[in-house]
Amino acid sequence: MKFTLINNIQNDKAMSLILKGFLVFILLYLISDILVMNSYFGISIDSVAITLFGNEEEYLDPMNEAAFLEFWHTQIFFIMMILLTLNAIFIRVANRSRNILTNLLMINALLSLVFLPLAFYLSASFVALYIITFFTWHIVAIYMIFYSFWRLNAKIV
Amino acid sequence: MQKSYKLSILYYLVFTLLLISSAIILFEHKIGFSFTSVLEYYIGNEEKFIPAQSTLGILKIILPHIFVFGLISMVLLHFIVFTNHREKKATLILIYVTFITAILEIFTPILIVNGFEFFAYVKLLSFFLFLLFIVYISWLLFYSITYD
Repeated sequence: MKFTLINNIQNDKAMSLILKGFLVFILLYLISDILVMNSYFGISIDSVAITLFGNEEEYLDPMNEAAFLEFWHTQIFFIMMILLTLNAIFIRVANRSRNILTNLLMINALLSLVFLPLAFYLSASFVALYIITFFTWHIVAIYMIFYSFWRLNAKIV
Repeated sequence: MQKSYKLSILYYLVFTLLLISSAIILFEHKIGFSFTSVLEYYIGNEEKFIPAQSTLGILKIILPHIFVFGLISMVLLHFIVFTNHREKKATLILIYVTFITAILEIFTPILIVNGFEFFAYVKLLSFFLFLLFIVYISWLLFYSITYD
């Protein structure tokens, strides 16, 4: 987190390059996350519902509780680490709307992680809310990546 | 510290609490919180058809946890450096005990499957102590960010 203390990141070519490289990796992670989720968990209301609750007509078993809890636990860890680092870079380079976007990103990510177990244990209606918040935080995160990248290329940060 | 960074850290603390909650639910579901259930999970129980775990099997499970426990502890503890608690001797003790309980929590299953059944107690104790320290560090950070 040394970059948070540097006054003019743009002049520090090494640090600027490191952060850009890291942003590329976060972007690749987010894209891969959507692709993997699409294959193994689902990214639409129907596909997530089938993964969680199964489908008798297609002879698909529901997800077992242990597998679900492990998936949820892992998701929380990866999301919290990625969003903390991405947000730290964004806050450092952004001029305005920092708090609004931080709130939007974090609240949606948190809600998606809360709606997931609510969908599994309480009601299938939470699946839709999970999908909405999942895509919202991904879109905000991708916007933050591109914005940060653009700002790191600006003359004065 | 900038207001935006404080906001970001506060959200991180909420994520940490969510992670702890999921860890407790997962532990309760897979292992259980009694001495017997911890023993059965690791050394097995033929009557209940619970297979015994091998040292290598446990190593596979704890491998990601070694990195994750270290990272979570480091990230939370390093935020303490930015607060008024930095100079306190209690902070140094907190850093030591957090890392030591994390190591105990991670590696006691290897001792359990190799015949040291007493370490089932240590496993349970270190699990709760580690979570307690994480919650306490989170509270210190929350208090510092909000009131200092």
